[in-house]
Amino acid sequence: MIRFDQVSKKYPSGQEALTDLSFELDAGEMAFIAGHSGAGKSTLLRLVALMDRPTRGQITVNGQNLVKTRARKVPQVRRGVGMVFQDHRLLMDRSVFDNVALPLEIAGCTREEIGRRVRAALDKVGLLAREASPPVTLSTGEQQRVGIARAIVGKPPVLIADEPTGNLDPMLSAEIMKLFAEFEQVGTTVLVASHDLNLIKRMNKRVLVLDHGKLIDDFRPVAARSEVHA
Amino acid sequence: MNRRVTPAQGRPERLVAAPPAARAPTRARPGMGAWREHHSRSFRTSLARLAERPGATVLTLLVMSLALCLPFLLWLLLDNARTLGGHLDDARGIGVFLKPEIDAAAAKTLAETLRARADVADVVIKTPEQGLAEFRSQSGFADALKVLQNNPLPTVLIVTPKAAASPGHGAPALVDELAHDRQVDQVQYDALWRQRLDAILAFTARLAGVLAILLGLAALLVVGNTVRSDIAGRAEEISVMQLLGADRAFVRRPFLYVGLWYGALAGLVALILIGAVEIALSGPLNQLTASYGERFSIHGLSIVQALALLGASVVLGWLGAWIATARQLTLGHPQ
Repeated sequence: MIRFDQVSKKYPSGQEALTDLSFELDAGEMAFIAGHSGAGKSTLLRLVALMDRPTRGQITVNGQNLVKTRARKVPQVRRGVGMVFQDHRLLMDRSVFDNVALPLEIAGCTREEIGRRVRAALDKVGLLAREASPPVTLSTGEQQRVGIARAIVGKPPVLIADEPTGNLDPMLSAEIMKLFAEFEQVGTTVLVASHDLNLIKRMNKRVLVLDHGKLIDDFRPVAARSEVHA
Repeated sequence: MNRRVTPAQGRPERLVAAPPAARAPTRARPGMGAWREHHSRSFRTSLARLAERPGATVLTLLVMSLALCLPFLLWLLLDNARTLGGHLDDARGIGVFLKPEIDAAAAKTLAETLRARADVADVVIKTPEQGLAEFRSQSGFADALKVLQNNPLPTVLIVTPKAAASPGHGAPALVDELAHDRQVDQVQYDALWRQRLDAILAFTARLAGVLAILLGLAALLVVGNTVRSDIAGRAEEISVMQLLGADRAFVRRPFLYVGLWYGALAGLVALILIGAVEIALSGPLNQLTASYGERFSIHGLSIVQALALLGASVVLGWLGAWIATARQLTLGHPQ
């Protein structure tokens, strides 16, 4: 579902963010990207979302070769990738409902369909009662859950999240991560960047460890328990 | 994912849970209903955006409507001047004012000679008595003329040249010859100044055209600049929409409607301004036309012209917004 093949990304400033990165994520698989800040986690996710293009190498997402995707086709690729941001990036002048409805509006769904699916998504994140509220009246954790509802409402095959718990306390963080794990169970490929090793360890999922743009470790759940502390 | 979505495949996904393998991103091609819905939503929200910043909106509307109404006012002036010129269509005759000492018999002989020429269609003799009577009836100076002891008017020959003899520009050779005749005091050839009037009108028409283009460009820039600052204020919203997979048309639509609204409203304001100018000028203009014995009248903007102004204004607003968004939209593209 997500495949990186000897991918390097060098920014115009000369900084090499990713070096010769290769990995593959199957459909319906969940993985964490771990590493210090500046290790290249965000860059990796930006490449998946086609916010940036790699300097070298091949990237395939949803069967689409991103290197060959023309500018005109970029929106279509992005509709197949749900995105959750650390600062949630909700539109503050719209209600919770309208924020979650945005991807469906963009995709051209009918009003009834939007109503049904937005409520289903809000129900999933436990915020159905707040649909009419403006996002500012919600707590940080709730705002992040609205961000997640927005990312999954279009039923994208791939869900990526960049430090989704960066602003949350440990308890809320665990809750959010469990939410992501639930999407994995319904067949969504989930890729979450986080520097919170303790949390990652408890989730018992595959972990890709980046360091200075290089993939230094890729361990599966069984190994994860013993190696995280190393 | 790579294949083209056919209309049948593009039907809304059913809510029934699909097996994981069949999961696909929400279809890429918007249905007609949703497309119409986004249009109507953009139509409404764009008006709300205008209302959000009343100061900037009013300023933009005023500048734009002024830029629009100036060339239209000039055009209106021109149109009226043209109808005035139309009354002088029959001014092809050459007025030959004979010297006062030429008597009726000599005038008749001269008329005969002229009539015999190949380039003359007709010659009419107007005696001083006829001239005085005409003057009395037309100019409204009847009372003043009564004071005159004797008739100061000379004999006038109205010479109509054959059509072929006046090729269009310049006075025909006939006019030149008449002017040099010893019996002739003065030659008045109205067609000459008619040509000059035509030239002036053509020049003014061109001037109005050039002004319309320049001021139209100004209107375009005003809308463009307003929409540009609107875009700058919504950079985050645009960026989020692009990340969620919005294409160019989707992001652009609300801004195009903003331009459309600016154009429509500025067109209305321009029409009101033109109406106000007409009302302000109507008093003095009516006095002026009355002094000419109501032989021509001043007309305002017709419905067709008003609609043309509105249409031009809407197109300019839309185009200005289109240009302003074109640059901004490339910013969401991957590097």
